[in-house]
Amino acid sequence: MPALLTRLNDAAKGKVLTLQEYFILAGKSLRFIFARPFYGQDVVQQMDEIGVKSLGIVLLTGLFTGMVLALQSSVQLKTFGATMYIGNLVSASMIRELGPVLAGLMVAGRVGSGIAAQLGSMRVTEQIDALNTLGTDPIKKLVTPRVLAALIMVPVLTIVSDFVGIIGGNIISSVVVGLPSGQYWRTVWEQLASDGFVFRYIPNDFVQGLSKPLVFGAIISITACYFGLGTTGGTEGVGQSTTKTVVTASILILVVDYFITQLLLSVLTYA
Amino acid sequence: MPDRTKRDARHQPEAVRRAIRTELAADDIAKRAERAKHPRAARDPSIPVVALDHVSLGFDVPILEDISFRTLAGHTLCIVGESGTGKSTILKLILRLLVPDAGRVLIDGEDITPLSFEEALIVRQKMGMVFQGAALFDSMTVFENVAYPLREHTDLGEDEIEDRVREKLTFVDLDPDRVMEQLPSELSGGMRKRVGVARGMANNPEIMLYDEPTSGLDPLTTATITQLIMKLQRELGVTSLVVSHDIRSVFRMASQVALLQNRRIVFCGTPEEMTASEDSYIRDFLGGA
Repeated sequence: MPALLTRLNDAAKGKVLTLQEYFILAGKSLRFIFARPFYGQDVVQQMDEIGVKSLGIVLLTGLFTGMVLALQSSVQLKTFGATMYIGNLVSASMIRELGPVLAGLMVAGRVGSGIAAQLGSMRVTEQIDALNTLGTDPIKKLVTPRVLAALIMVPVLTIVSDFVGIIGGNIISSVVVGLPSGQYWRTVWEQLASDGFVFRYIPNDFVQGLSKPLVFGAIISITACYFGLGTTGGTEGVGQSTTKTVVTASILILVVDYFITQLLLSVLTYA
Repeated sequence: MPDRTKRDARHQPEAVRRAIRTELAADDIAKRAERAKHPRAARDPSIPVVALDHVSLGFDVPILEDISFRTLAGHTLCIVGESGTGKSTILKLILRLLVPDAGRVLIDGEDITPLSFEEALIVRQKMGMVFQGAALFDSMTVFENVAYPLREHTDLGEDEIEDRVREKLTFVDLDPDRVMEQLPSELSGGMRKRVGVARGMANNPEIMLYDEPTSGLDPLTTATITQLIMKLQRELGVTSLVVSHDIRSVFRMASQVALLQNRRIVFCGTPEEMTASEDSYIRDFLGGA
């Protein structure tokens, strides 16, 4: 029994230590955004890597999610004679939930694994130690540019995903359901307007839809950098780090999404 | 040994020697002015550049116990021993990538163990490190690798940086025009090591650390790298610490040899003293090597 307790104690300590290291890395990487030297070129390079190169996958998932959403909802709404509300349903679902979450999951899979593999390889080939010996803080040089780029690009990708998803809904509602495009876009706007505004002009749905990807961007980049920098055990360790990154970031995105939604629903005034 | 030194000096291209002299005269003016303000400016030659004072380190198990040695300016200390005895760990302690559990690590007489991470980054600028696998940044070209410390820590313009990179690559016997735009993956093992040396010395450090600089290299390339380390010590007066398994190379370049056994230094002296030793472990080690 004491042995079991000791093991449990050690395991708990290990988890707390991991959390502590994770938040220290997060804190440092965010603090270094405002500290010299600035690695502007690295940030731009990472924005290209995280944003531009993820555009294809985000466009595809957004488009087909919007299309399938319109298709499924048309079947249900038809029974009530309410197919004119497809626009409301697609826009609310895409902007509030599916756009941010799907873009986040796609970026976690594509970019998170890439970052973890790159930093993990740098760790096992002593390139991180080399940075240290050359008087460079690896967090400042490697983590902060990736975090900053993700903070900027994940919301941008989400906007693209939302927009393309709503267009996908438009395609299905006009081609399959026979709803005129004008009416579809009118209901999309009605949905945005009916949910209320922040500062009179910013729809509440936009606040929800853009605050989430900001947090998801931080989760993906910090998780990937955390596991990447902590890689041990050669190439096998690199593989494990990438797997851990994708699994952890995906779970965190889904869990944190719930809590952000809960928080925003209690803070924002919905009509 | 003196004959070899003369022979190497004769073979040294005049352009390179001139470049080194110019560099020593001009390049370090700012650094020297800075040092002149520092209390260490009037350095006592008897003060060791690198010293470990009763250092112990362990994680789950003890790795190093009661390690002490001192290296004077311009000397080359080679650390030898069986695999897994903590040789590379000593270099990490000197770089302050690790902090000892007990004892002190002194650089230029200053204890670096209590320094913060940011302060340690500044101290590391005095040192150049050549890693076992060279640890070149594989996303950067050779030029960018060697230029990296200059871009990070100096205000040199791009033209000056290019001149400096060319000098360093020439110093390590590489043709700058041929290799500068190549990626590390396009180089041979020996060339990668030499680029690693060029990057380590780009900022004109006072101390060079080498982790297994000749491992995995053929005998000819091993001899080239060994000569390069000697050239650095001889012509630039750099203090060197070399971790190596290659006893032949060690005996060629070392002013002092430290032998590690079971986490402790069991011998520290000149190569001649080591070969003359009657200690059975030392004799076995040299015989085996």
